[in-house]
Amino acid sequence: MELTLNEKRLLVTLGPMGSADAAVLAEKMDARREAVVQYAILAADRGLVDVEKHVARRYVPTEEGRAYMEKGLPERQVLESFEESIPMRDLQSHPLAKIAIGWMRKKGWIALRDGVVTKTGATAPGPDETAFARLAERGEIADGEGVADLVKRGLVAEEETVAYTVSLTPRGRELLSLGLDLREEVGTLTREQILSGEWRSLPLRRYDVTKLPKRAYPGKLHPYQRIIDEMRRILFDMGFEEMSGGIVQSSFWNFDALFQPQDHPAREMQDTFFLGERWPLPAGYERVRDMHEHGGGTSSTGWGGTWSAEKAMQCVLRTHTTSLSIQHLAAHPKPPVRAFCVGRVYRREAIDPTHLAEFEQLEGIVMDEDVNLRHLLGFLKEFYAKMGFEKVRFRPGYFPYTEPSVEPEVYVDGLGWVELGGSGIFRQEVTEPFGIEHPVLAWGLGISRVAMLRLGLRDLRQLYRSDVDWVRETPTYGGRR
Amino acid sequence: MAIITLPYRYLERLAGTDRQTIIDRVPMIGADIERIEEDHVDVEFFPNRPDLYSPEGVARAMRGFLGIEEGLPVYTVSPSGITFSVDPGLAGIRPVLGSAVIRNVSLDEEAIESLMGLQEALHWAVGRGRGKVAIGVHDLDAVTPPFRYIASPRDRSFVPLDFEREMTMEEILTDHPKGRDYAHLVENFENFPLIVDADDRVLSFPPIINGELTRVTTATKNILLDCTGTDRKAVMTAVNIICTALAEAGATIETVTVEDEEMPTLAPAERVVSVAECSRLLGIPLTAEEMSRLLRRMRFGAEPDGDSRVRILVPCYRSDILHDWDIFEDVAIAYGIENFDAALPATTTVAQEHPISAIARAVRSVMTGLGYLEAIPFTLTNERVLYANMQREPAPGTLRLLHPISEEQTVVRTDLLPLLMEMLLANKHRELPQRLFTVGDVVEDCVTYQKAAAVSIHPAADFSEAYAAADVLCRELSLPYTVVESADPAFLDGRRGDIVVDGKIVGVFGEIHPAVLRAFDLEHPVAALALDLRAVPGYPAEPGTP
Repeated sequence: MELTLNEKRLLVTLGPMGSADAAVLAEKMDARREAVVQYAILAADRGLVDVEKHVARRYVPTEEGRAYMEKGLPERQVLESFEESIPMRDLQSHPLAKIAIGWMRKKGWIALRDGVVTKTGATAPGPDETAFARLAERGEIADGEGVADLVKRGLVAEEETVAYTVSLTPRGRELLSLGLDLREEVGTLTREQILSGEWRSLPLRRYDVTKLPKRAYPGKLHPYQRIIDEMRRILFDMGFEEMSGGIVQSSFWNFDALFQPQDHPAREMQDTFFLGERWPLPAGYERVRDMHEHGGGTSSTGWGGTWSAEKAMQCVLRTHTTSLSIQHLAAHPKPPVRAFCVGRVYRREAIDPTHLAEFEQLEGIVMDEDVNLRHLLGFLKEFYAKMGFEKVRFRPGYFPYTEPSVEPEVYVDGLGWVELGGSGIFRQEVTEPFGIEHPVLAWGLGISRVAMLRLGLRDLRQLYRSDVDWVRETPTYGGRR
Repeated sequence: MAIITLPYRYLERLAGTDRQTIIDRVPMIGADIERIEEDHVDVEFFPNRPDLYSPEGVARAMRGFLGIEEGLPVYTVSPSGITFSVDPGLAGIRPVLGSAVIRNVSLDEEAIESLMGLQEALHWAVGRGRGKVAIGVHDLDAVTPPFRYIASPRDRSFVPLDFEREMTMEEILTDHPKGRDYAHLVENFENFPLIVDADDRVLSFPPIINGELTRVTTATKNILLDCTGTDRKAVMTAVNIICTALAEAGATIETVTVEDEEMPTLAPAERVVSVAECSRLLGIPLTAEEMSRLLRRMRFGAEPDGDSRVRILVPCYRSDILHDWDIFEDVAIAYGIENFDAALPATTTVAQEHPISAIARAVRSVMTGLGYLEAIPFTLTNERVLYANMQREPAPGTLRLLHPISEEQTVVRTDLLPLLMEMLLANKHRELPQRLFTVGDVVEDCVTYQKAAAVSIHPAADFSEAYAAADVLCRELSLPYTVVESADPAFLDGRRGDIVVDGKIVGVFGEIHPAVLRAFDLEHPVAALALDLRAVPGYPAEPGTP
């Protein structure tokens, strides 16, 4: 049995007395009474002492009660201020009259007739007054006859006092008789103690492993950033180069270069954040114009109508990172290209738990000689599998800038098949104006949805306006990958 | 998106198969099942396939896909002898007219609802909210040909649908619900488009409202169709889709002579495509014969043209076929997307992290090492948070949204520090100390670049803590810097420093000004820092421009 130093000191102090009040022990040990009780309870757990708790009630004067302690209760003071009788009007001028008259009448000490107050003669002190006199004498009283009345009048208040009696048990006495080492226990070892070897002979404090330490919080990455990094890592592993670019895009790169017709609903101000700024069109924009108007040099008919350069210059907050993909391809038109990007995209949507005006999109593109639809499905399967979605299936889809288009779905326990992004092969109308001669496989993924699934969030806003405690408590390693 | 209601009984009759087969298979031609009900199913079709916006159109496609009836649907048209003139005065207003006569329709309430549903879906998908195309269907027997499409004075009056009294066209724009919805399409013109018959009775005020006179009811036997608009291709798409849908339901189609042109022809367009190109794109070996067979299931006319080509007839309602690859997608759908074997190409490529990501990663590593938690705040904010609360003047290059959706999000952030201050406010009730950092995009003058920022709030947060963190960050980013006293009003005078690199201020640190703390309703000192990452060696030269 390993006792703490404090327990040992308690036993040694208690030894000559056998039994003592904690307050007495505290004085002898030069410690606070509360601390001594703590030591005693620990020692009691080991069966070395018994701790007995006594609760006592006592009554002490209130502020008002203290005011009367010297001269007695107000009704007694006022009664003694006059002889046999006094006109009521004169009596009322006494400073305590207000309280006293009522009590004198209630106790039957006085009678009132024709405006004159007369003593009845039955003015002996009642139990309340006797109790009050005792209080005046000792400063406090125990419960007894009349005390309840004084409590009711607000003259005394109840106080609870707790006392502890600590007594040695036979086991404690036995241990004590064997002698105890009262040397100071050592907490943190010093350099000298370590070098000198003194640590060997020191009483080292032992710590209670069942007591949890104070909680510490490390600095760490946001849980969402960790998921983003995990996806980036997967794409690096698959040989992809990372892209980055502007949040603000001209309509040309956001829409026109992707063969979105100029009257497409996504290009209206209800769906997209437009800015007042204009940005000049890149050299060679005419090829995009021709593609829209009549299909350029391809088998396409184009959209027909007249293409407006003015409309293409309007700046928007990018609605997808595909605007970066097409610019990357325009700058690198020769195969092979494997590139990806994770970036914020913007939709003009009212904010609620499942809709935000801005969120992250992940996008991958693969351009190479002879890549085809089967390879698109291959990349998607591989990517989703590494993300932990083992079951993937594909359905026909529609996206304005891909043909064919495919909607991947993943199986999520408890939710069933969940649509997770879109994919396809860039239309020739998209690639041809930039001299890209080989098919471009492309897919995009709203990763905030993946984060919601992974982190078990119900409200997307938690990702961006995070509760610090949630970040602190979300483990760095999720245990999955 | 267009959600189409498909009543089972009608659909089963038209498609020649049972409802379960349709529900199981319709997603594989490109659709999402929205709701399965007792007597109908609601299906969402993609915006490039308006020909599927009716039960008749879906049945036509499903018959092919399921192998019940393959190849090009043939629609015969005969002349009605009716003429329809177009007033040259409409040239700058709404010049294009498409028309047809549809005879022997049998319309019950459900069929009328379905026809109205198709019209509305076409108004959305093809008509772009009636601007590009607006559709009117009329009881032909209530009026007398020939018909005239004219530019009319605005005070002409007639009884519009759903009203009992005559109204002038101007009144309609202010008093009729449809008038109010679509007034913006015509109100700037001196004259309004109007369709009248031989007796000058009004059929329609396109694109706003039809006249009550030609209301289509269950008693209607013959229909006059008008499609007006600004784009001929789109107008004819709408005519073709409506005519062929009603023809599928048993009606007969007759042509109308519009300014000497007999329309509609409902004739297919011809295309000759390469088998090898299709095989290459899809990654499956195909013969001309196989490819033709697959395309016939998608209701194309398709015959091999030698071994290497397929001659295709594209049905008149397939407005989505712009390019040969649109045909190849239909080959893939007929083949079954689920039947493709996924594969990875053999090419090797080398991964490359973007230099900005590498810098951001370094910032994250340093700041988490210092005990800071990462935050990922929104990039959209407002000028109160960004400037007023910070006691700062608005940056000249601040981008303001033209049509913000809330007062909270009106500008794109030019700095990160205010967003972190807002984050501290949101976490006011959480245990201190709180140390937060973020790294991310800011935009000025359309140029996107990156900053890092950090805040530390607790009763002992002070200048020294901010300076120490700024010093660590700069040293770890290999950024040789000097410090001068700052004048940034977001910080407390005498307790603020500017980080200077190559004579340029690239960052700031110090104690946040107490008035700024109060503006964010914070009660403890905040030590803060911000750094423009463009100063970091290795930051790419080309900016993120539009």
